[in-house]
Amino acid sequence: MESKAFLEKFTEQFIDCDDISIDLNSNFRDVDSFDSLTGMAIIMMIEDEYGKKIEDQEFKSCKTVQELYDLLQSK
Amino acid sequence: MKAYLQEIAYYLPNKIINNKDINEMHPEWSIEKIALKTGIVNRHISATDETSLTMAEKACNILFETSTLKKQDIDYVILCTQSPDYFLPTSACILQDKLQLSNNCGALDINLGCSGFVYGLGLAKGLIVSEQAKNVLLVTSETYSKFIHDNDKSNKTIFGDAAAATIITSEIIDGCLNAEILKFNYGTDGSGSDYLIVKNGGLKNLNNKKAIDEFDEEGNFLKNDDFLFMNGKEIFNFTAKAVPILLEENLQKNDYTLNQIDLFIFHQANEFMLNFIRNKCKIPREKFFVDIKNYGNTVSSTIPIAMKTALDSGVLKNKKTLNLCGFGVGLSSGSVCLKIV
Repeated sequence: MESKAFLEKFTEQFIDCDDISIDLNSNFRDVDSFDSLTGMAIIMMIEDEYGKKIEDQEFKSCKTVQELYDLLQSK
Repeated sequence: MKAYLQEIAYYLPNKIINNKDINEMHPEWSIEKIALKTGIVNRHISATDETSLTMAEKACNILFETSTLKKQDIDYVILCTQSPDYFLPTSACILQDKLQLSNNCGALDINLGCSGFVYGLGLAKGLIVSEQAKNVLLVTSETYSKFIHDNDKSNKTIFGDAAAATIITSEIIDGCLNAEILKFNYGTDGSGSDYLIVKNGGLKNLNNKKAIDEFDEEGNFLKNDDFLFMNGKEIFNFTAKAVPILLEENLQKNDYTLNQIDLFIFHQANEFMLNFIRNKCKIPREKFFVDIKNYGNTVSSTIPIAMKTALDSGVLKNKKTLNLCGFGVGLSSGSVCLKIV
C-alpha cells in the first residue's frame, strides 16, 4: 500500500476534493469542509479499499493523514 | 406484456425555506458549510392546511393538464406516502374521488419512504403484466416537514415537501417517454427500523405531545419521540454498503454493464451521500444526475422530480438506458433499469 494512493483516496472523500489540497502532513480536520460526515466516508473508504476497520475513537486520535496511514499500516 | 413509464409531473408547495432562513433560526450554525455538504439551498414546505392528499391532487391535476392520457383512462392508482391524512380510509380512495377517476379504478396506498418510487414502479409493472390494469397512476406525496421538530436543524436542512405523479402504461404512446420498465431488485433490513423513525403517533405509542427533548453530549438537539428522528451515521452506513451491491445485482439481472447505462438517477438524499455512492460505484460524474439544490430531499418524490428535470432540460435527450435506485427508511431499497424505446 502506498501512501500516495492512500492520500488520493483520502482526499476524494471531501465533497470539494477538486478545490482543496491536502498532503500527508496536513491537519485534515482544519479543512473547512471536514466534518463528521467526511469522517464517516473516510472510515468507510478504508474498510472498502483496505479491508481494515478503524474505530471512531482511533480515528479521532489521528490529526494528520500520515498518522491515519500509520494506524492503517499497523493493523 | 411490457410496461412503460410515460409522463411525470410534480407539485411543490409555495413556501420556500432557504439556507439564510435556517441560519436566522439557528445563528450558531454554519449554514454555508452545511449547504456545501447537502447541496441544498431551498426546500418547499407545505402550508398548515396542505396535506399529502391535497398535494397529490395538485400534482395529478398538473399532470392531466398536459398528459396524453386522460383521467378516465386510469384504471389503477397507487399512492405512496408515510404522512397520510388519516389512519383510514385509504388516501388513494379519496384521491380517486377528488380526481374523478373511474369507479372501476383500483386504488391503494403504500407506506414507503425514499425507496417508494421504485417499489411503486414495481407494483405498477406487476399490475400491468398480470393484466390487472392498463394505465397506472403512481403518486408519491410527503409532508415530512410536519414531522420535524422546530429545534431539529439537521432534518430541517435536508427534507422538503413535494408530490409527484407518474403514468405507467401497457402500450407505447407516441410523443411520450416510452421508458420500458425492466427488471427489479429489492432489499430490506428491518433491524435498522429505529434509524429513521417517527416513534409516537401510531397505535403502539400514541402521540400525547408529552415526549421530552433529548440532547447529545455537546448539548445539541438529538430527538423527541413525537417527531422525526434520523440516525444519519447509520443511514449513511446502510446506504454506502447496500446501494453499490444492489446496483451491481440489478445491472447483472438486466444484462447491462455499468458502461451501458446512459444515466443514473438515484434517490436524492443529499449531495454528500450521492457523491460517496457515485465514487464507490465508480459511476462517471457526467452520467450521474444530481438535482437537489432547489427541493431538498423530498423522500419518495426525488426520483420522479429528477427524471422530470432531466427530461425537460434535455439531459435525457439521446439517452436510452437508465438506472434508478431508491434507498432509506425501513430500511428499504430498490433498483430498476429503464430502456427508452
